[in-house]
Amino acid sequence: MTTRIIVKLDIKPPFVVKPVHFEGLRKIGVPSDLARKYYKQGADEVYYIDIVASLYQREVLFDEVENVANELFIPLAVGGGVRSIDDFSNLFHRGADKVVVNTYAVQDDANLINQAAKTFGNQAVVVNIEAKRWGNHWECYTDCGRIQSGKDVVEWAKEIEQRGAGEILLQSVDTDGRQRGFDIDLAKQVVESVNIPVVVASGAGSIEDIKTLIKEVSPSGVAIASLFHYDRLTVTDLKESLRENGIEVSE
Amino acid sequence: MSDVIGIVNYGVAGNIHSIKKAVEKAGGQVLVLNEVNDFSKVDKLILPGVGSFKDAMQELEKGGFISPLEEVMHSLPTLGICLGMQILALLGFEYGKTKGLGVVHAEVKPMLVDAAVPHMGFNSIDVIKPNQLLKGLDNEQFYFMHSYEMVNYTDISALTEYAEHQFVSAIHMGHIFGVQFHPEKSREAGIALFENFVGL
Repeated sequence: MTTRIIVKLDIKPPFVVKPVHFEGLRKIGVPSDLARKYYKQGADEVYYIDIVASLYQREVLFDEVENVANELFIPLAVGGGVRSIDDFSNLFHRGADKVVVNTYAVQDDANLINQAAKTFGNQAVVVNIEAKRWGNHWECYTDCGRIQSGKDVVEWAKEIEQRGAGEILLQSVDTDGRQRGFDIDLAKQVVESVNIPVVVASGAGSIEDIKTLIKEVSPSGVAIASLFHYDRLTVTDLKESLRENGIEVSE
Repeated sequence: MSDVIGIVNYGVAGNIHSIKKAVEKAGGQVLVLNEVNDFSKVDKLILPGVGSFKDAMQELEKGGFISPLEEVMHSLPTLGICLGMQILALLGFEYGKTKGLGVVHAEVKPMLVDAAVPHMGFNSIDVIKPNQLLKGLDNEQFYFMHSYEMVNYTDISALTEYAEHQFVSAIHMGHIFGVQFHPEKSREAGIALFENFVGL
């Protein structure tokens, strides 16, 4: 089985932006252009996260999603401000293959996960975890690391698996956007606590960081943003290098 | 005039959008089938599916699709994708036991494997019985996203291995085809599969 190389687009419409520590946004480009570029380079999947939808209490902008979906013949996961079965349904109809939920499930009603899994199948329901380290445990945050939830990350990961989530997108508030390596301890604990696929994000600063993560944690996928956005590395080169190191990635 | 390929639109979660784009990219002409009356306008069928076995069958029933589908599937080349393949089976065991369309002698059961489930990502297919749909696609990689698998002993055309567990990734019975993976999400290999289907 191949390890998925996933590109994460953090969106503040109409642009892909690069948050550092989930703050200090920098414009990178137009979502559909970037999606097409990474698809051509061989990305296995695209995660499209509207990082301000929840904060502004609005829905993801469906036309934007459709523009991105039109460029891709690989899976597209979409998240940001998702709070109802209707939101899920609308996103699937606009071309999303998976829908990502965080704030509403953590802060308001975790039953949304159960309902969505029952309606759309668990493979289509992704829960985004924004983890922040407190001593030797991690707590779930929402709204791009702004709001504390009081929920323990590992306990929450187990709970959402029970509720029917099909995948976890694991982000770290501490390491996101810094390009200084992943929070390996966090990734390890979450991957070992659940039996659903975990996609680890936040921290890729070099090919070495990615190799270390895959070798030590064996996540189902790695999500990368900055490293690709600033053209410091292409998906093609990363996959080539991983193959040379005996790590299986898709052709 | 080339053949018109009908995509059956049922339920709340059809991934019609991506399949339509991929078939068009492969040179096919698409008609999205929103109601039973449209069935007479197409030459081939695609049965998509995102969701659970139970919900899919309930939605088909609610739309009055079941007997018209069974009728046209006697003659029209049909491609079931993911859950669209699974509901061709006699029975499904997702959220309780549910009767399927019964076109294929098979049951759909949870994947029991010593690895993360859903099985998610690119994996290769081993074509054990070649057919027109899978022509040129042996050992190609396709995108999978599923927690259940079809258990069948007679109509297997391809197998895939996940964490040492082998499962049915494609079936074929006469003019009926099914694939467990998502060709519409599988780059050029997926487009090539739709080209084969268009060319049938």
